[in-house]
Amino acid sequence: MKADVLIIGAGPAGLTAAYEVAKTGLCVLIIDEHQQAGGQLWQQSQILALPDIFPNMRGFELAQFLVERLEGLAVEWLLGHRVIGVYEDGQIGVTNDKDVFPVFAEKIIIATGAAENAIPFPKWTLPGVMTIGAAQSVVNRDRVKPGSSAVIYGDNSFASDVCELLLSVEVNIVAIVKQNKQLGNSTFGDMNIPLYENSSIIEARGNGKLEEIDIQTPHGMITLKPDIVLIDGGQSPILDIVYQLDCALRYQAELGGWLPVYNHQLQTSKDHVYVTGNATGVSNHSALILTGMLAAASVCEALQSLPPEETEVVRNSLYSKLENEEESDTFSARKEHIKQFSTPQLKDQFIS
Amino acid sequence: MNTQFDTIVIGGGVVGSGIAYHLSERSQESILVIDRKYPLAGTSGSTQAWVWVHNKTPSWYAELNYYSAELYPYLSKKIGDVEYKRTGGLSPFFHEKDRVKAMKLAEAYKEIGIDIKVLSKEEVLEKEPFMNPDVEGATYSSIDGNVNPFRLIDMYMRAAKRKGVQYSTYNPVHDLQKINGGFIVATTKDTYRCKRLILAGGTWSRELGKMIDVHIPMNQVRGQILVSEPLKPFLNHTVSGLRQANNGEVLMGYSMENKGFNRSTTLNVMQETANMAIRYVPAIKKAKIVRAFSGIRAMPEDGFPIIGAVPNIENLYVAATHSGVTLSPLIGTLITELIIDKETSIPIERYGISRFA
Amino acid sequence: MDKSVIVCRCEEISYEEIEEVITQGGRTFDDIKRITRCGMGACQSKICSKLVAEVIHKQTELSMEQIYPPRFRMPISPVSLEALATDSQQFSTVKSVLDEIELTDGKVK
Repeated sequence: MKADVLIIGAGPAGLTAAYEVAKTGLCVLIIDEHQQAGGQLWQQSQILALPDIFPNMRGFELAQFLVERLEGLAVEWLLGHRVIGVYEDGQIGVTNDKDVFPVFAEKIIIATGAAENAIPFPKWTLPGVMTIGAAQSVVNRDRVKPGSSAVIYGDNSFASDVCELLLSVEVNIVAIVKQNKQLGNSTFGDMNIPLYENSSIIEARGNGKLEEIDIQTPHGMITLKPDIVLIDGGQSPILDIVYQLDCALRYQAELGGWLPVYNHQLQTSKDHVYVTGNATGVSNHSALILTGMLAAASVCEALQSLPPEETEVVRNSLYSKLENEEESDTFSARKEHIKQFSTPQLKDQFIS
Repeated sequence: MNTQFDTIVIGGGVVGSGIAYHLSERSQESILVIDRKYPLAGTSGSTQAWVWVHNKTPSWYAELNYYSAELYPYLSKKIGDVEYKRTGGLSPFFHEKDRVKAMKLAEAYKEIGIDIKVLSKEEVLEKEPFMNPDVEGATYSSIDGNVNPFRLIDMYMRAAKRKGVQYSTYNPVHDLQKINGGFIVATTKDTYRCKRLILAGGTWSRELGKMIDVHIPMNQVRGQILVSEPLKPFLNHTVSGLRQANNGEVLMGYSMENKGFNRSTTLNVMQETANMAIRYVPAIKKAKIVRAFSGIRAMPEDGFPIIGAVPNIENLYVAATHSGVTLSPLIGTLITELIIDKETSIPIERYGISRFA
Repeated sequence: MDKSVIVCRCEEISYEEIEEVITQGGRTFDDIKRITRCGMGACQSKICSKLVAEVIHKQTELSMEQIYPPRFRMPISPVSLEALATDSQQFSTVKSVLDEIELTDGKVK
């Protein structure tokens, strides 16, 4: 199979990039392991903060919007297909679980997103302990209630979205436990959920499934009896495809840990490989869209479907939007990461 | 850390660690093993780890492998369980014309006292019921088997450390120098002195030899191996090309490429390997492959081990070979004998480095 | 934390086992993987790699950027042999043992 541009991952960043590339007349091929394009958006029923070019939408509405606007453009789909590796000549190997076949493209845009991190504690392997993303997909994709009473554990910012989602399917939220240092409120938001800051789960107990947990708080130990614990350990960029493509990597804690080095064009150390979305560093929905547009603009420039002067204008405007819309720490880390493009910490990973 | 040692071994892989352990068993002298990374990071950690004798040619080389394989049961008793299993080795063939080759091989081995059987189709299928019924026959040797390479090197290291051997890891060697009464070894972390130096750098032997003006004609050969999800035990033997590990994973591969130190895997070879595995054992086709890995094998220019003292440089030894897993207990024993007894229990002149002069 | 807590769920490897390899001189995820099997299971280290990096960081002088991620392997996710295999029986690099044996004057060398 052949295309001008291969996009790996049909989440918000990949779909955005597909649109921006295809509308310049280039032929795009999108691969995603799921049968439905849209990625994690289908699990997000909350209203998203998006760049001003979009109206406010819920996650699944955005998914639908991004897919529908590709209609009529030169976009081919390989849904339900996985990239499993690389051939000696650099072609990407794809499987549908019946066959493995090569795909050739002039440029590749990696939009494989991020994966959740774990926070271990004694007996965290008990059934009932899961990541927050797993709970979201149980509710949104399978329409199944993951449990009847939940404790949310972690440091990150998804808590309010997830609380709203859990409450909507009548899961009682027993507590939110945060490890971070500041001491502040004792309840969460306006939902009156008990909040334990500077606290951690010391142990889980249960016979074959989660029954109770001990939480060390600054005011002593408490024991709660939820039937699920949802771990929110933040996210890290997924590296497996960029690693196989021999892209050089750097560590950038603010962006989620190890990730491919990339330049102002979101181009990796391999000329034909670009990155976008959470693969460029874990950020918010606006950044997914904006980096999708950024990678697309650079690919179009490289394939001469956009003139360089115009591309530079587009890129500058996208960067200034990005600066406004993502957390300032994230944006500065991204700028630093771009600056360090030529000094990766891990390269030539296959040379013994 | 102390920088003066009686013996320094460069390379902590299966050969270097094997030598350090065997030497420490018989000597109270101080020993340091230096590794550029951590043992198992190179060839020793990326192998199917067959302990394999049969089909090695010519017969005198088979003999060396045979003696080493015979040391394995004893080695396990000394250093701990390395999951050595003498499964018997089976090399199937699918063309009747290969039977002639197989018969010749058995004949040649008979002269050195190694028993190889040439099996009929029925005998193969009796030994390995899941083998492809298209098989025409196989050569079979009862002495072949396999070992868990991770356990092997880990156990060698632990046993050696118990005997006082020190390891310096993540410490690449930059320069070697012969001085009066010994050697200077300059590394990233420190500069060491020793009376005796053993080069066991495996794939890097050529580069190591250059540092002290010894030509060690070592090349690299890449082998790619597929690993399946754990399957219930169904393979009884070490089949040339695939074996089943204790935890049920099946390792498959018999590829050879000249790619220098590039240890990437490629879908091209993975697909060929999958073809081979299904051809040998069709029932395996539903199994999932969970990972592939490449190993860069050490391959001396003529294929045979380079073992022994280096002529004209007193107290310098080389041990560099293909089939390091099979040969390690014997090479460890022989180098120890050379150092302590000044002679070896079996002749090894044939394997000396002077053959390349 | 309790040293018996599991880090690698697939192979059930605990903090204690990981720390022991670091004590022996292991410094990378892959050193630990080879000796303990941590990260060799079904998820191929997707869950545990970051946790192990934190253990290495805590126990050694290494900063997080000096602790490389594990060597990622193909296939990127598991695939059946049947899907991976092609119909071809042409082998360019994969050989059989008997292929390697050469006869000279009708005899094995």
